[in-house]
Amino acid sequence: MKMIIQPRDERTQPARIIAGYPQTPLRSPKEPLVKRAPTLSELSGPLEVAKRVKLLGGDIAGQGEKQAIGQLIHLRVRVLDEDGAPVGGAVVEMWQANAAGRYIHPNDDDHAPPDPNFYGAARVVTDESGVFELRTVKPGAYPVPTRDGWWRPPHVHFSVFGRVWLARLVTQMYFPGEPLNAQDRILNAVPDAAARDSLVARYIPPGVEPYNALVFEHQIVLRGRAATPAQP
Amino acid sequence: MMIPTGEATIGPFFPPRYVDAGANDLTVFEGRKAKGEAIEIHGRVMQEDGTALENLIVEIWQADAGGIFRHPADPRHAQADPNFLGWGRAATDAQGNYRFKTIRPGAQEGRAPHINFMVMFSGLMRILKTTMFFEDGKDPVLMAVPAARRSLLIAKGNYEFNIRLRGENETPFFDD
Ligand SMILES: [Fe+3]
Repeated sequence: MKMIIQPRDERTQPARIIAGYPQTPLRSPKEPLVKRAPTLSELSGPLEVAKRVKLLGGDIAGQGEKQAIGQLIHLRVRVLDEDGAPVGGAVVEMWQANAAGRYIHPNDDDHAPPDPNFYGAARVVTDESGVFELRTVKPGAYPVPTRDGWWRPPHVHFSVFGRVWLARLVTQMYFPGEPLNAQDRILNAVPDAAARDSLVARYIPPGVEPYNALVFEHQIVLRGRAATPAQP
Repeated sequence: MMIPTGEATIGPFFPPRYVDAGANDLTVFEGRKAKGEAIEIHGRVMQEDGTALENLIVEIWQADAGGIFRHPADPRHAQADPNFLGWGRAATDAQGNYRFKTIRPGAQEGRAPHINFMVMFSGLMRILKTTMFFEDGKDPVLMAVPAARRSLLIAKGNYEFNIRLRGENETPFFDD
């Protein structure tokens, strides 16, 4: 089995402690991370997670009477290995706020209304070309309840299982042209501009299917120099 | 899934069904029992000030009782226990405790028996990885850790493995 393992480039990964995110200084290790030569244990990983967790379809915007409120969007995301090869059969978990910027989560306060027709999470498996597609609604921005408050721009959370333990990635995807992207402390914790840009999806102009939703394409690279930055 | 209280946070707000029922029991896969010695691993996860962390996600990845990984990179994978997936997920409870039922992993060539851990939580800009060992020894991953901190990666009793994200007795994490 062909396997290239390159380290992630530190400049493409976010700072661990950031201003305005009060949990980060309490939870990020103080000691330097220990470097190790990868062994079989890290160069293998769970390939059949889908047999243990429940998959939840590619349409979370709903149909008929159970349609979520919000701008319909269609996400087309490709998962790549560090050598650029598509990762087929990968389990991808996603979660997001509803169109008003509210999660179904007890820690999310009541600044915005819940949507009874929107659960806000999915679990899918990539096809042979590494692609998964999701029909959802565009998430709303939400305020960060700190003293010098700021806002999270619209974003989608992804947790991805690659082919090996070293490739496990948790990240976020942002939307192009959002004014709040420029002030988001989590997105801007990534020092390298190109790496930050790689977290922003690409808007696909009308003319491709589906015709009834805004289409966004995105790419997630699990490891290597071009690795997608981690995000919390 | 357990629910955190009293802490204003900016997420990530995992969906309520993120940890599936039974995802922390690796001794049974698709209704069939795995081979080997069933064990329980538990521990408390704490932040810098010692506060236990609730609703934190822990995942593990390990070899089966014969020391074989269910993965094509393992030259012996054809002999892997068909009833052992090797992966599980748990969330910590209100006291910050997680718990897994699993099979005591066998050794691989050059490696002592061990279990890989991953932690994801609010305040962690990147997921953290560590490895639990059953005893001290000449394992290359354990030896990569400064000698004074190695004991922090060795489970106590049957089998307690606490994770301190930062501060006193901080768990060694690996640069992945
Ligand atoms: Fe979020």
